[in-house]
Amino acid sequence: MSMDTATLADRATVSLTPVLDLQAAEPLRAELMSLRGRPLDLDASQVTRMGGLCLQVLMSARKIWAEDGVNLTVDQPSLAFSEQLAAFGEPELHFEPEGELS
Amino acid sequence: MDPFESIKQTFFQECDELLTDAEQGLLAMESGDADSETINAVFRAVHSIKGGAGAFGLEQLIRFAHVFETVMDEVRSEKMELTDEVAKVLLRAFDVLADHVHAARDGGSVEETRSLGALGELKGLIGAEDADDDMNNGADEDFGFVPVTLSVEGDEAPGGFIDLDAQNASAEIAVPSIEDETGQTSWIIEFSPKTEMYAKANESGLVLRELARLGETRVTLLDETLPPLDQLAAEQAYVSWRIQLFTDSDEAAIREVFEFVEDDCNLTITCEGGEAQAAAPSAADESLSEDDRAAAASANADIDIAALLARVGGAEAAPAEPAAEAPAEAPAENVAALIARAQSVEPPPAPKVEARPTPAPAPAPAAAAPAANSGAAPAAAPTATIRVDLDRVDRLINAVGELVIQQAMLSQRVLESGLARSSNVALGLEDLELLTREIQDSVMAIRAQPVKSVFQRMPRLAREVADMTGKRVKLVMEGEGTEVDKTVIERLTDPITHMLRNAIDHGLEDPEGRAAAGKPAEGVVRLRALHRGGRIVIELQDDGRGINRPRVRGIAVDKGLITEDQVLSDEEIDNLIFLPGFSTAETISDISGRGVGMDVVRRSIQGLGGRISISSEPGKGSKFTMSLPLTLAVLDGMVVTAAEQTLVAPLSAIVESLTPRTEDVHYIGGKDAVIRIRDIFVPLIDVGVALGFRETAIDPASGVAVLVESEGGGKAALLVEAIQGQRQVVIKSLEANYQQIDGVAAATILGDGRVALILDVDALVTTQRRKPAPRSEKRMAS
Repeated sequence: MSMDTATLADRATVSLTPVLDLQAAEPLRAELMSLRGRPLDLDASQVTRMGGLCLQVLMSARKIWAEDGVNLTVDQPSLAFSEQLAAFGEPELHFEPEGELS
Repeated sequence: MDPFESIKQTFFQECDELLTDAEQGLLAMESGDADSETINAVFRAVHSIKGGAGAFGLEQLIRFAHVFETVMDEVRSEKMELTDEVAKVLLRAFDVLADHVHAARDGGSVEETRSLGALGELKGLIGAEDADDDMNNGADEDFGFVPVTLSVEGDEAPGGFIDLDAQNASAEIAVPSIEDETGQTSWIIEFSPKTEMYAKANESGLVLRELARLGETRVTLLDETLPPLDQLAAEQAYVSWRIQLFTDSDEAAIREVFEFVEDDCNLTITCEGGEAQAAAPSAADESLSEDDRAAAASANADIDIAALLARVGGAEAAPAEPAAEAPAEAPAENVAALIARAQSVEPPPAPKVEARPTPAPAPAPAAAAPAANSGAAPAAAPTATIRVDLDRVDRLINAVGELVIQQAMLSQRVLESGLARSSNVALGLEDLELLTREIQDSVMAIRAQPVKSVFQRMPRLAREVADMTGKRVKLVMEGEGTEVDKTVIERLTDPITHMLRNAIDHGLEDPEGRAAAGKPAEGVVRLRALHRGGRIVIELQDDGRGINRPRVRGIAVDKGLITEDQVLSDEEIDNLIFLPGFSTAETISDISGRGVGMDVVRRSIQGLGGRISISSEPGKGSKFTMSLPLTLAVLDGMVVTAAEQTLVAPLSAIVESLTPRTEDVHYIGGKDAVIRIRDIFVPLIDVGVALGFRETAIDPASGVAVLVESEGGGKAALLVEAIQGQRQVVIKSLEANYQQIDGVAAATILGDGRVALILDVDALVTTQRRKPAPRSEKRMAS
């Protein structure tokens, strides 16, 4: 699949697991990698805890999504997720390419 | 060699040292004379092992060490009382820890039941705390501590998370939550987690939140080194943080937040406006972190290595106590040394020359936290050492050996050429001889090592054997610093191991037996090493039941080793246990009675040019004494002539020499000669006959008698034709080049290039002493 032909139909949603710790980092990375090139919604509503490694995965994913020019959003962040993100210094996780239609 | 691999090797070498330190500390703790410094030293040793293991991803080891460390932490903080039971559990767990280290090194694994058993015991000690901590965590709802998930991470997680929470509580008490801006200090904290921090289930997120409790924070996330997802290793640490914190807490309070991750991250805490308070450790961390960051993009492993080196090298002195304040330059120097060390290891040089860092001039003002801080210092005293391949030393020693021979040959030539003793050549030669001797001594000193490396394995062995046999034993070791040549050391382990097993298994009574004999339930085994008469003597003494002579005799008769009517002295009966195939264990136990008893010990000692003897007192115990040459390379000997052969008698065995007078020589039974020397009679052994060079003995009056003393104290006079003189000879093993010969210990090359045999005085004396028995038998038979 070519990056340029990503369409709305390809849009994927990943529901983040409640505990994003050491154990969750590699599965998360693998899951996101398998969805590379597709616009992605990260559902963070269930997250109760997020550690530094998963944060890195998400930030790193954002880098590559931005490189590919594909949409990446975080939906319905739980309070825990938002608070932890704030504690981490509010790194940017969203990416919306200019001219995106949705 | 792969540089990483070589650093790993260094780590394991350091581990051995750390384990030794830890074991000594634990033994001191067990015997009740451990001060807080000892306990701290054990904690640090285990901590360092864990840290290094983290750098190399040795999961099993990390897990085990972590729990061990947690318990040690409880002990050192006096939350847990150091009872006898605790000490014993720690010692048992230590054995498993050592196994984990060795398994990690040699690529095996530790028997799971053992490991889990020890873990269980350790956790049993801290069980109560665990429960408390869980409750604490429950309170922290929005972080949602989920024990089930964490338990996957094994024993790691609870320690890390929970302890932070506990810190939390105290921090809250200490710091009023809302403060005026005035009076608050602004701190800049640079926090770069390392991979192992996450690997140990510690969380940067928690730390940051913790920090936020101290005051207002402005957090900046630094992600320059973070790769895009396709190049990301999910469990590696990339991002770091720069936090500006406004607080009225002091630096110690800030450091407390990082207490459990301090070793696994690079941390700099600076007071904005920047004076005094920049703490000592930050200097170290700063240089490290710069180094790390530079390396981070390319190879994260470098970070780990730097961290590892920092740890094993003793730069970790700082972490445990935040209050520790040392002169700022010192740690920086230390780190520089470490980095230099890391670099020096990287290209694979044959001799791994390793400049040991001089540690921060041992926390000079015994201020803040001397206990925690000075830890690494005594271990790495400011003597510079290098590690050199043993091969190189061996080559050097061989070369020096040849030099000695060559020098001897040269002397001989000069002598033969008839030059005057006062000639310049002869005088120069004398100087050369002195110099050669000095070089030789120095070279031998290089290879000399304290017997500690052998002794240190014994406490564990004693524990294991005691456990297996249900006996209680206290092993007391003395003279561990006694030095002996490395080649000797290597071959000491087996005999000592065997003798120690024997002493506990056969020598000591079980607790009931001891009680019945009116002795304390715990048996004492003493292992001593000392220098005596140019040899190393190793004694192993127990306070057990002693040798049961009637039984030993009975067994010897049963096994046909002696005849029933043979009259033996106590000493001779005791020595029967050294006969091949002699085993007194009534039930064959796992530990010693495998039929490879003391005869094997004796043979291996003899193989080393040593002797072993035993003395025993019924009901009071036995003492084995091994005497070994300090080196297997050179020997001071008396060169003698017997049956036209040139032979060498070890000088250490010689008491005196004399010309026998005919009236002093008597013959027992018309055959066996004895000579009277100042009111005592000693056997007179014709060396030429004893070694089979000739059939009949020479007339004693025509020769020279050399009075020798065997290790067992037995004396004899060796009859030879002439004494040539005293000389230092280089030992060439006969066993290695030919085979063992009774009465001959080794060979050497003389100045004239000929081979001379070195006499085994002990064997000659004992053979002579044992001779009468079979002979009388023969006579009876004939």
